[in-house]
Amino acid sequence: MSGSKPDILWSPHHPDRYVICDSELGLYRIGPVGSSAETKAGTLPLSEETAATLLAINSDTPYMKCVAWYPKHEPECLLAVGQANGRVVLTSLGQSHNSTCKELVGKEFVPKHARQCNTLAWNPVDSNLLAAGLDKHRADFSVLIWDISSKFSPEASVASEKIRLSSVDLDSSTVVTKPLYELGQNDACLSLCWLLRDPKLLLAGMHRNLAIFDLRNTSQKTFVNTKAIQGVTVDPHFHDRVASFFEGQVAIWDLRKFEKPVLTLTEQPKPLTKVAWCPTRTGLLATLTRDSNIIRLYDMQHTPTPIGDETEPTIIERSVQPCESQIGSFAWHPSSQNRMVVVSAANRVMTDFTVFERISLAWSSTTSLMWACGRHLYDCVEDGAESVESVIEKDIATKMRQRAQSRYGHDTVQVWRNHLLAGGNDPQLKSLWYDLFYILFVDDQCAEDMELKLQGNKQSVVYSGIKNIVKTSSGTTESRRCWSGSDRQTDVPRYLSEERSLALRLCGWISRGPDIDVEIFLRTLEQEREWERAAAVALFNLDIRRAIQILNKGATAEKGDLNLNVVAMALSGYTDEKSSLWREMCSSLRLQLKNPYLCVMFAFLTSEPGAYDGVLYESSVAVRDRVAFACMFLSDAQLPRYIDKLTNEMKEAGNLEGILLTGLTKDGVDLMESYVDRTGDVQTASFCMLKGSPGDVLKDPRVQCWIENYRNLLDAWRFWHKRAEFDIHRGKLDPSSKPLAQVFVSCNFCGKSISYSCSAMPHQGRGFSQYGVSGSPTKSKVTSCPGCRKPLPRCALCLMNMGTPVSNCPGTGKSDEKVDLTRENKLAQFNNWFTWCHNCRHGGHAGHMLSWFRDHTECPVSACTCKCMQLDTTGNLVPSDSS
Amino acid sequence: MFVARSIAADHKDLIHDVSYDFHGRRMATCSSDQSVKVWDKSENGEWHCTASWKTHSGSVWRVTWAHPEFGQVLASCSFDRTAAVWEEIVGESNDKQRGLSHWIKRTTLVDSRTSVTDVKFAPKHMGLMLTTCSADGVVRIYEAPDVMNLSQWSLQHEISCKLSCSCISWNPSSSRAHPPMFAVGSDDSNVTYGGKVQIYEYNENTRKYAKAETLMTVTDAVHDIAFAPNLGRSFHVLAIATKDVRIFKLVPMRKESTSAGPTKFEVQIVAQFDNHNSQVWRVSWNITSTLLASSGDDGCVRLWKANYMDNWKCTGILKGDGSPLTSSSGQPTAMSTVVGSSVQTSQNALNGMSAGRYFFPPLDPPRAGTMYGHLLPPSSLIEHCDAEPIQPQQQALPRRHSSRALLPLPEAEGQ
Repeated sequence: MSGSKPDILWSPHHPDRYVICDSELGLYRIGPVGSSAETKAGTLPLSEETAATLLAINSDTPYMKCVAWYPKHEPECLLAVGQANGRVVLTSLGQSHNSTCKELVGKEFVPKHARQCNTLAWNPVDSNLLAAGLDKHRADFSVLIWDISSKFSPEASVASEKIRLSSVDLDSSTVVTKPLYELGQNDACLSLCWLLRDPKLLLAGMHRNLAIFDLRNTSQKTFVNTKAIQGVTVDPHFHDRVASFFEGQVAIWDLRKFEKPVLTLTEQPKPLTKVAWCPTRTGLLATLTRDSNIIRLYDMQHTPTPIGDETEPTIIERSVQPCESQIGSFAWHPSSQNRMVVVSAANRVMTDFTVFERISLAWSSTTSLMWACGRHLYDCVEDGAESVESVIEKDIATKMRQRAQSRYGHDTVQVWRNHLLAGGNDPQLKSLWYDLFYILFVDDQCAEDMELKLQGNKQSVVYSGIKNIVKTSSGTTESRRCWSGSDRQTDVPRYLSEERSLALRLCGWISRGPDIDVEIFLRTLEQEREWERAAAVALFNLDIRRAIQILNKGATAEKGDLNLNVVAMALSGYTDEKSSLWREMCSSLRLQLKNPYLCVMFAFLTSEPGAYDGVLYESSVAVRDRVAFACMFLSDAQLPRYIDKLTNEMKEAGNLEGILLTGLTKDGVDLMESYVDRTGDVQTASFCMLKGSPGDVLKDPRVQCWIENYRNLLDAWRFWHKRAEFDIHRGKLDPSSKPLAQVFVSCNFCGKSISYSCSAMPHQGRGFSQYGVSGSPTKSKVTSCPGCRKPLPRCALCLMNMGTPVSNCPGTGKSDEKVDLTRENKLAQFNNWFTWCHNCRHGGHAGHMLSWFRDHTECPVSACTCKCMQLDTTGNLVPSDSS
Repeated sequence: MFVARSIAADHKDLIHDVSYDFHGRRMATCSSDQSVKVWDKSENGEWHCTASWKTHSGSVWRVTWAHPEFGQVLASCSFDRTAAVWEEIVGESNDKQRGLSHWIKRTTLVDSRTSVTDVKFAPKHMGLMLTTCSADGVVRIYEAPDVMNLSQWSLQHEISCKLSCSCISWNPSSSRAHPPMFAVGSDDSNVTYGGKVQIYEYNENTRKYAKAETLMTVTDAVHDIAFAPNLGRSFHVLAIATKDVRIFKLVPMRKESTSAGPTKFEVQIVAQFDNHNSQVWRVSWNITSTLLASSGDDGCVRLWKANYMDNWKCTGILKGDGSPLTSSSGQPTAMSTVVGSSVQTSQNALNGMSAGRYFFPPLDPPRAGTMYGHLLPPSSLIEHCDAEPIQPQQQALPRRHSSRALLPLPEAEGQ
């Protein structure tokens, strides 16, 4: 370590203490950040939860090159410091100056020739032994093992040495110059570590080789020539595994096969500065390169493979970035899992950091998230508690589940009610279901009064949307009507045609009849307290007085907006004079009105006839109202252009309001496609398009795809009843989707189907009915094959033939429909069903089989060991929507 | 809002994968301890391990379920260079009553010469097909021609991707308009090798898989890849876990029916998030592909959601080890000053109302007397994603205790 480059050492025995050494030694204690209310001076935040407190500083030992912490409990905080001149000094940090410590602190171990001390290592077992690795000095030894308990031996010191020493040391009794062992002659030592498998063995990274010295026989050494001689360190979990590095390359050695590294880790562009095994997990090695802010982790998966004997471990490589600044050094926490403290290269900024295990995760079909972190599993479920906000912005999966449960889409009579079933808070869905309602409603009416002569198939016209209806418009009459309630002639032309009034009916403005009468609609709006909208509709019908009346009503109603009166006042001042002050003020001030309907009212009044952009392109006004307005006031030339433009806009945005324009046509499917693309709401798409039958839209592969996807969703949620209901609903509207019979049972003897009601063999059926026991002519029992009259199989339990009712159940046998079928009764009916196991093909009455398997696991037939009831795991799942 | 709770997994080493079955009632986990565990959800919502067995002679990387219409079938892949197919059978004893089930190995797929890094079943409409990818860059597609006999698998396709493969994902679309398609990701970290995500599509004419697209912009190592459930959409969405979270949209170009060759896609990047500030490890879609969860080396699980404008946004952060997630700014002094500030409280309420936040509505302190007070989740697990100063309400909760109690400390376990 150079003087400026910091290093960290964890205390071997205090999991909350560590030492930072750069130019001095600083002892820190790490603790939770919130433990003391007042922030003490000198507390440094390490992470969001932890902070360090400086306990002691020791600057007695200048020119520090390396530090090693005494491994035993007592004395604590005893450190060996290797200096630039090769001396090793024992020093202490902290307050505990007990007797043993006092003796040792200040002791110095001096080599014969001064040169840099590169590394220090305490023997983990015989803690009196301290190995020091030094630079080369001619033929001198470079690995010195000192005994810290040895006393000063004056006879060993040479005179010249003594002079040199005495100049520095006043108390020469603390100076030791005679090492216990001298190793590595004529070489340099760069790194050292004691081997954990045998404390007499010392591994040293020498100048050009790695050497293992045995203290029992110092004359011999095992060595291997390599460049990777820096930072030798033993894996604490696997004592034969050693890591060392050179430049940017890490070599992993197996001491049992010391000839070559078992593994070389990918080379880094910059030289490494530190390599350390994780003390809390096997096979995890952390490395740090110079001038870098990331720590690279190598997770060694050591697994034998079945193919061949070569066990080459796989490496999972990871990089972590504990902090923004460049890292000077790091140290693993000795006991806390995967935790380390990192110190920056400059300014001694420390970070407490935990390396997280990689988390794997998965969503379930019911929107719960499971993840695995390390060895733990976490189940994360959506909380059932509902708050107001969450209802509005729920995920579509949750919405669809809730809607499926509230039977959304199934109201076929009051179709508009479906938006209430969907929760009633989505304006687009509201608009969609009203559109569909009006389409079906108008369609019914058209079917009733055939005098409404629409060309072609009437169904297709109503279903084809306003876009197509207005295209076919012909015989438009233009009229100039008076403002009702005023005798003034208006110069506003209004257009009328059969198609236009059909469009207005689809918009819901008018009902059947030759007149354009919006009064019913207005009253509905008033009931709904949509005052502004009602007023606007009244105004568009050129009834200012009615509009004012509505606004008044709105202002005086409970919780009404008094401002509506002001609007009414402004409205009453209407003048059609082009240059009046009223017109000028209204056209500029209307933009400040917050309510879009109020805004378009004045836009209408102030605009030139035929130029109604202020109304038509006010996007916050419902499409339905804008279209109705357009149908009234746009000429035959303008109207299709506007409708086309609006349709494309709606299609682009996937806005369901546009279904009014497109109808249930291919255009409508296009629009729905962009809605589905945007929201994923296949439920609405499926139900909506089903309404289009019998039509071509259902044959569109996209529609089929939505339906399949929706059914698949219901299945995944185990909403099997809902799926079945959906299929029934779909079968009603789209007969082509009816599935074929799933199973047919053939006679063991003649091979013909035994189903009595099968239409394919009416004669046999009738002939068989003579054998029926039941008096009911409609429901016969089938106890033998209708084809060959051979008896059918017997119930394995009651030994009665298939087709006989269960005898011990009351209410069976009486299969006439008049009996009120209570729930129990329904089940009793089911008890009569003949069931069998698909595996062993034994069976019997459902009721009998069920009661058998309540107590048994194996089939009731002798010598059959089939576990019939356990075969189907999905069958054991209960539908989650059963009420 | 989401509440996390810990389950005693009892794996002896790192869990590498979690996988739900089609119905979400069963779950499989696999681990470096070379075992797979199967979990069943009881009626009260608790997970019970019903099977645990040694599957491989190496770390098991991934485990996956087949569609239940093929039976209860699992596939696993491992560092031991094999993939295996497992089927649940009815045991000889009445283990089912004791809540245990038996799984037997139906086949071992030994074609790979290197670690098999991912295994996935093809979408159900393609039949029972299994795909593996391995570290030597080969994707293999197997088919069980007879779904009644899972011990027979034939290797149908072998596709060399030239790069070490780490993950594979099938396009789940069942629409006939979309030919079978899968994406494979590579964890090769050499950026000069170009795009690390390749998309292959089945060609009906040649009966082979051909490369349809390479996402050239993804040059860093890819750890996970996931096609979103298509749900009738006209395009495909692909989430990629690399140095950040990326969401791509693949819009098939309308092509003339006559033209052979793979579909051309218009590739759009929809979102790119480096909020994990580290390598992203996994991505997972919910069933409607409206929510994406990602996990990263920062130890956090993040949830992403798109608004109606297709703008993706982080809607929640959950810390992976269950420990409290505090504000990234880490200003302990600031926290104490705002306690009790009513202004702050109302601000939070407003924030909670805003779009995209619905997952984690503002956590009001459990007021005395409110009946839901005790139902609140350990608020510490959940945080609004914008780095606001910590909400004072959260401070009021005894959160360190509640969350710690839920989660056993990792150190408590033996090595």
